[in-house]
Amino acid sequence: MTNTKSIGQLLSRGILSENPIFKLALSMCPAVGISTTVMNGVMLGVAVFFVQVFSSVTISLFKDQIHPRIRIPSYTLTIATWVTVIDLVLAAYMPGAYAKMGIFVKLIVAFAIITMRLEMFACKEKVKDSFWDGVGMGLGFLVGMVVIGFVRELLGSGTVLGYDVLGFKPLLFFILPCAGFFVVGLMMAFFNWIEVFYKQKRGVRS
Amino acid sequence: MKDIVSIVFRLTLTCLMAATVMGVAFIVTNKAKKHNEHVREERTMYALLGYSEAKPAPASVVLHQIYRYIITEGEVQFVSYLIPTGSGKPGVSNAYSLVSLDLQGKLVDQKPVAIDGEKIRGREDRDKAVIAVAGSGKDVRFADHTIIVTENGKRIAYLLGGKFPGFKTFIGVMLALDPQYTMVGMEILEHEEDPGLGAEIEQDYFKNQFQGKAFSTLKGLKVVKEPLPAEYQQALEGGIAEADMARIMEQYKEKDIYALTGATISSRSVTDGVKGMVKKFAYRLDILDKVLKEQQIAVSF
Repeated sequence: MTNTKSIGQLLSRGILSENPIFKLALSMCPAVGISTTVMNGVMLGVAVFFVQVFSSVTISLFKDQIHPRIRIPSYTLTIATWVTVIDLVLAAYMPGAYAKMGIFVKLIVAFAIITMRLEMFACKEKVKDSFWDGVGMGLGFLVGMVVIGFVRELLGSGTVLGYDVLGFKPLLFFILPCAGFFVVGLMMAFFNWIEVFYKQKRGVRS
Repeated sequence: MKDIVSIVFRLTLTCLMAATVMGVAFIVTNKAKKHNEHVREERTMYALLGYSEAKPAPASVVLHQIYRYIITEGEVQFVSYLIPTGSGKPGVSNAYSLVSLDLQGKLVDQKPVAIDGEKIRGREDRDKAVIAVAGSGKDVRFADHTIIVTENGKRIAYLLGGKFPGFKTFIGVMLALDPQYTMVGMEILEHEEDPGLGAEIEQDYFKNQFQGKAFSTLKGLKVVKEPLPAEYQQALEGGIAEADMARIMEQYKEKDIYALTGATISSRSVTDGVKGMVKKFAYRLDILDKVLKEQQIAVSF
């Protein structure tokens, strides 16, 4: 990784070429477990987005003070702090959504994607770059969750964002957790196909 | 060695910083959270009484808040009720009285409490006011909160808030009873039972089983480990014709509670907890009513 990444590159990397769910295949449990509706996906995606951005910036700010032997405990502490803050804010200002999502928000502490970004990026790079990397990764996760949620909600309950679109329930199967893997798998294939297609067009072959 | 010292120092510092951030967040959000909880509680109350946003409660329906305190002075214990003596209309600054009874159910004293209708909802303000009235050197403990609902001055329902031990921690509930102490409805407000097992207590097919149970049935209510009959489950979850629902509910009115699969302890805790709450409430209210009538204390309900 060079230091000369532009904001656009950092962002597009998180959303497309290194999308946490479809490319890195990290944090699959929430992606599969919660993404039964678009709204659930948005909620968790937003929570992860903020935790990712805040944690990346914090670690990047204090990267020189963190003893290399206690890197991971420090990351975990940082993430746990921000998760608690987000948890408190959600509980206070969005009680309705929190009643549904509360238990999963606390689980963000253990999301692989956040720790991985801190270890791979934030602890080496400048604060500004870390911020945009966090934004990119958070958005990538958010987009992933929304896309999976959209497919599962549409095919499982025939609705989008709670509105009845199809008027009937095509396949209950898509609401069940196993279908989460199914959709994620298809999405991965789709994203890979886009990448291959894009590279061929540019004439860049691996 | 130097490493260890440095690591310990840095970790401690990190923890302190984390604690500060979390503490600040807690202080900032706590007020909004409390307000939301209050709103939610209010909504739950009206929902239990059968009102909703689409069908708001008429102005003639008034909720009268009653707070029960246990006051201990040396070896002697009193049961004190903080009751509204004014008009009881919401928004109006009410007069409140602290009516103390001894354990035999005889009136000890009645003292006016200087607190207005808004402040009484906050636990701290209320406790402070009660302690000030009870006098110093006494141990004042808040016991529970009951609401008497009246329509045009006639009692139509009681709302009981309470907590009892569940499988893991406490289960907080709100019960609605009619004046004959028949269950009108139950809502689980908080619990930490296992998801998928004990957490099913908040599902309609469990909590609605309590609906319509008469006081005589409630007193001997037990939990049976039998599968829930399919037609009963349909009736509990709604979604069938109202006439059918009423018929099936009537049919199972005197039956015991069907345990949740894999969560017998949670089912039993809720059943016993609810049973205890209703029994004790009925006993206490009878005593309180008798005293209020004998002493001719004017109350709003």
